[in-house]
Amino acid sequence: MTTPDATHAATGLPQARAYLHPLPVRIWHWLNALGFIALILTGIQLRYVDLFKLMSFETAVHVHNWIGFAVIANWFLWFFYHLASAEITNYHPDLDVKAFFARFFRQAQFYAYGMFVGEKRPHNVQPGNKFNPMQKLTYQFIMFIAVPVTFLSGLMMWDVERFKFLISAVGGIRVVNTVHVIMFIMFVAFIFVHAYMGMLGPRPSTHYKEMFTGYEEPHE
Amino acid sequence: MKPGLILGALLLAITLQAVAPAVKAAEDQEEIANPDLKCLKCHSKNLSKKLEDGDKMSLHIDGAAFASSVHNEIGCTGCHQDVPNVKHPSRQPIATLRAYSVARNEICSECHETQHEDYKQSIHANLVGQGNVNAPVCSDCHGAHSIQSRKGSEPVNGEPCSNCHEDIHQAYAKSVHGRARTEGNLIRNKAIRAPFCSDCHQAHRILALADTEYLVPICIDCHEGARLAHEQWLPNAAMHMKSVGCAVCHAPQAELRVNLQLYDRVLGVPVKQTLSDAEVQKILGEVDTDGNGLDPLELWKLMLNVDTRAQSTNIRLRGRLEVSSRVDAHRLAASTEAIRSCENCHQDNAEAFQNVTVSINRPDGRKETYKADRKVLSSPISVDSVGSFYAPGGTRIKAFDVLLVLALVFGPAIPLGHWAWGRYLRKKNNRS
Repeated sequence: MTTPDATHAATGLPQARAYLHPLPVRIWHWLNALGFIALILTGIQLRYVDLFKLMSFETAVHVHNWIGFAVIANWFLWFFYHLASAEITNYHPDLDVKAFFARFFRQAQFYAYGMFVGEKRPHNVQPGNKFNPMQKLTYQFIMFIAVPVTFLSGLMMWDVERFKFLISAVGGIRVVNTVHVIMFIMFVAFIFVHAYMGMLGPRPSTHYKEMFTGYEEPHE
Repeated sequence: MKPGLILGALLLAITLQAVAPAVKAAEDQEEIANPDLKCLKCHSKNLSKKLEDGDKMSLHIDGAAFASSVHNEIGCTGCHQDVPNVKHPSRQPIATLRAYSVARNEICSECHETQHEDYKQSIHANLVGQGNVNAPVCSDCHGAHSIQSRKGSEPVNGEPCSNCHEDIHQAYAKSVHGRARTEGNLIRNKAIRAPFCSDCHQAHRILALADTEYLVPICIDCHEGARLAHEQWLPNAAMHMKSVGCAVCHAPQAELRVNLQLYDRVLGVPVKQTLSDAEVQKILGEVDTDGNGLDPLELWKLMLNVDTRAQSTNIRLRGRLEVSSRVDAHRLAASTEAIRSCENCHQDNAEAFQNVTVSINRPDGRKETYKADRKVLSSPISVDSVGSFYAPGGTRIKAFDVLLVLALVFGPAIPLGHWAWGRYLRKKNNRS
């Protein structure tokens, strides 16, 4: 069976670029990025008002709350779009766990060594299967666990009285806050790594361009 | 003796003999019309009775004061119903003046049933029952024989409460309420009277303030717009109004503390102490071995002990920010002077979180408090034991500050390391 690349090479036609990131996904992604950066900054302000003061605590609370609601709404946009389209296949779990982790470690090996010595990329990016195993596991965790846990804990802290039964059921407001803060710290580290991983394409700008245009950039 | 003198004396005796019954009859008529006069015949004198403790009880009654009292209407036997039926003066011994006052207290309930029922639930009655000789009975506040109607009275001097709570009255007198009361007695739209003691604490059902929650609705009774006003600017207003006492912000000079109260989260009520004080102290002594207040680990052990005794995990610590001293709680300022800055509490080392106590409610409603280390508010060990109290920034868990620093260091360090590693491998590869 010939690959699309081989077909285009054989016919001499320009290679058709895969449409990897539909518009709703791109809108969601960049709004989410801006939202998370704003939430992290206002979150740091809330937590460390004694160390620096970009804004008053009261303003930081209001801004944090409003952006939080926007990010939650944005997550639902992402969620329902994925449910209603083929995009969800990117997140389908691999049922063959052994094979999945074999590819996972091959990908890790590529990032750790192969990419610097000219090895071929182990994952062939395609619409519906655009994430390599490392990305897939990370984004499954981020989108289905980390983000919902963060916004649920944030919602509980937004109105403690409204959610008092839920708060009590999970062990109290301090437990809720602890979970929220652990997620916040994880996202702080994630943002740096995520931004850097975006530069690990064929060229540093490749994945960034793809995330703006939606189309796969030429890899050679 | 001269015959004239003898005759004169005889005439006088005959005259007196004739007039005396008439005078006695007139006196009897008066006593029938006002039987109290019969009592006053003796009790207007400086009589006293020796008590078993060696003290003396005055039996003197100021007739004029009694006549002007509201009880003049019911007369002496209205309260001293037993007197006509027993030999009087009675030879029954009386142990102490206090014992007599406490025993007479019940008489008031015959007419003032509602007030007496309220009183019986009060901390005052509770303390009387515990044998506290300073706790007031009816006559301590109302007097015994010169009782005046309190309707329309203007107790700017704080009486009778100030007789025992003078320090609190002094604080109240200088407060926004006290000043409004003395400077015209009117506030806001000039139709509402500024409150004095019984307006907030009630006249007879005076409760101990271990559960100060009940005062918030009382404040709201007059300040009906307060809830809405707070909701307009204060994030989590409902939670703040539940976990932070009004005086915390509205008595800006007051010293604050966080009280962690043992609370039944299923029943939604504070836990009442069932063990004796000695047993409680023994448990605390076993946990707080160094005796310098409960540190995070000791508090965690204490809660384990509570769980074991209660055989459930329903009893938790409920945190409330409150004013440390009862006196300070009465130094309420005008709303324009209230603390409105969130940073007052929501920052590291905030003054509000320097004092921490753990408390259990005594059966009478008073708090039994025990000192705790302020670290219990910011230790990861306390995530469970102090689960219900958290102020962002102010009681943040320091261990997470370290984690955040690590994230800020390793977040960029991992990409930098990877980039450097790649550079090294490429160079090595090019060379080979």
